[in-house]
Amino acid sequence: MIDIMETHKKFQKELSAGTVSLALLSILVQSEAPLYGYQIGKLVGAGDEEGVMVKQGAIYPVLRSLESQGLLASERELSDSGPPRRYYHATEAGGEALAAWTAIWEETKTFVDNVLGGDYQ
Amino acid sequence: MKTTDELIHSYLSDLKAALRGADKATIQDALADAEEHLRTALENEVAGNEGGADGEILQNIIAEYGEPEEIAQAYRSWEAALPPALADTPAARRADSAKKSYPGFFGVFADPRAWGGLVYMLISIITGTLYFSWAVTGLATSLGVMVLIIGIPVTIIFLLSFRGIAFLEGRLVESLLGERMPRRASFTDSSLPWKERLKALLLGKATWLSWIYMILMLPLGVIYFSFMVTFLALGLGLALTPVGTIVVLAMGIPLGVVQSGNYIWSLSDPGAVLLSLLFCGLGIFITTGCMHLARWVGKVHGKFAKALLVSD
Repeated sequence: MIDIMETHKKFQKELSAGTVSLALLSILVQSEAPLYGYQIGKLVGAGDEEGVMVKQGAIYPVLRSLESQGLLASERELSDSGPPRRYYHATEAGGEALAAWTAIWEETKTFVDNVLGGDYQ
Repeated sequence: MKTTDELIHSYLSDLKAALRGADKATIQDALADAEEHLRTALENEVAGNEGGADGEILQNIIAEYGEPEEIAQAYRSWEAALPPALADTPAARRADSAKKSYPGFFGVFADPRAWGGLVYMLISIITGTLYFSWAVTGLATSLGVMVLIIGIPVTIIFLLSFRGIAFLEGRLVESLLGERMPRRASFTDSSLPWKERLKALLLGKATWLSWIYMILMLPLGVIYFSFMVTFLALGLGLALTPVGTIVVLAMGIPLGVVQSGNYIWSLSDPGAVLLSLLFCGLGIFITTGCMHLARWVGKVHGKFAKALLVSD
C-alpha cells in the first residue's frame, strides 16, 4: 500500500513540474499588477480545489526558476507592516513563452485524452 | 501554546535542517522565501478573520505551505535544474561537468569563467579600493561619534551598508565567477524589538565577516590587478614580436647588431624572424597561462567570497 502511494506521489511530482510552471506563468501574464508570493499562492490555491497539485511553499523555487529564465522579473518592496515582499511580474519573453507553452499543453492534453479515451484506434 | 514568532522560527529551523548539505545560498533564499510567506500570510489572514487564535491560523498556513522535508525537496530539485548565471542551460552544464571539468590548454579562451575571472581581477582594484575606503571610513566614523547622540544612527547606517555591499558583491561574484551566491538579501526579522535587531546587526557574524572581506579586497585587488596587467602585457608584447620584426626589417634596419670593440656582429634576417617566432610562441604561452590563472583565481575567489559573505 505504502509503495503504491509512493508511486502515485512520484507520478504526481513528475507531472506537476511542468504544469506548475505553466500555471504560475499564466497567472502572472494575466495579472495586471505585479503580485507577491502569497497572492500568487492564493490564486494557485483557487484553481487547485483539491489542494494536491502544489504546496504553497513549492511555488517559490518555481518562481525563481522562471525569473532566472527571464520570463518573470521581480522587485523587492517594503510593506507598511510585516516583512518586505518580492513582487513578480511577467516579462515580454514571459508572454511569448506562455503562448508557446499553452500550445504545447493543448497538444499534450489532446494526445493524452485521445490515448486514454481509446480514440486513437 | 507557542507564540507565532516561535512557530515561525521553529518552522524555519526545521526547513534549514531539512536543507542541510544544500548550497548555502539556496538555504538562505529558501528561508527568506518561507519567512516572507508565513509572515505575510499571517498578517493577511489575521486581518481577514476576526475569530480564531493567531496560533491556529498560523498552523493552517504552515500546513498549506508544506512540510519542511517536502519544501526542501522542491528547492533541491529546482536548484539542480537552475544553472548559475554563466552556464547557459542545465543540460550544457551537466554535459560539461560529466565530460571534463577543465578546458584544454587553448580551450580556455572559449571558457566564460576565464573571461569572467579576468574581468573580475581587472576591476577588483577599483572595487577593492572602494570597499576598503568605505569599511575604514565607516568604522572610524562610527567609533568617533559613538559618544554623541548621533552615534547610534550613524553606526547603524554604516553597518547596514556593509551588509548591502556584501550582497551586491555577491551578485558580482555570481555573474562573473559563476559561484552561486544569495539572490535575496538576508532577512531581518521585523517582528523583533529594535534593540534585538540592533544587537543582531552589531554582534552578527555576517556584518563583521563582510567588513573583513571589504578590508581584504584592497590587498587582493592590488595583487590581482598588478599581476594580471604585468603578465598580460608581457605575454601580448612577446606574442606581437614577429609583427615588429617584419616592420623593422622591411624598413631596411638590421636587427641584433652588437658591437664589441672593432668587431660587429649582426643577426641575419631569417635568423631575426626565427628568433621573433620563438618569442611569439613564448608570448602566446604566457597569455594563455594568464587566462588559466584568471579562471583558477576566479574559482578560488568565489569560494573565498562565499565563505565570508554568506552566513550559515
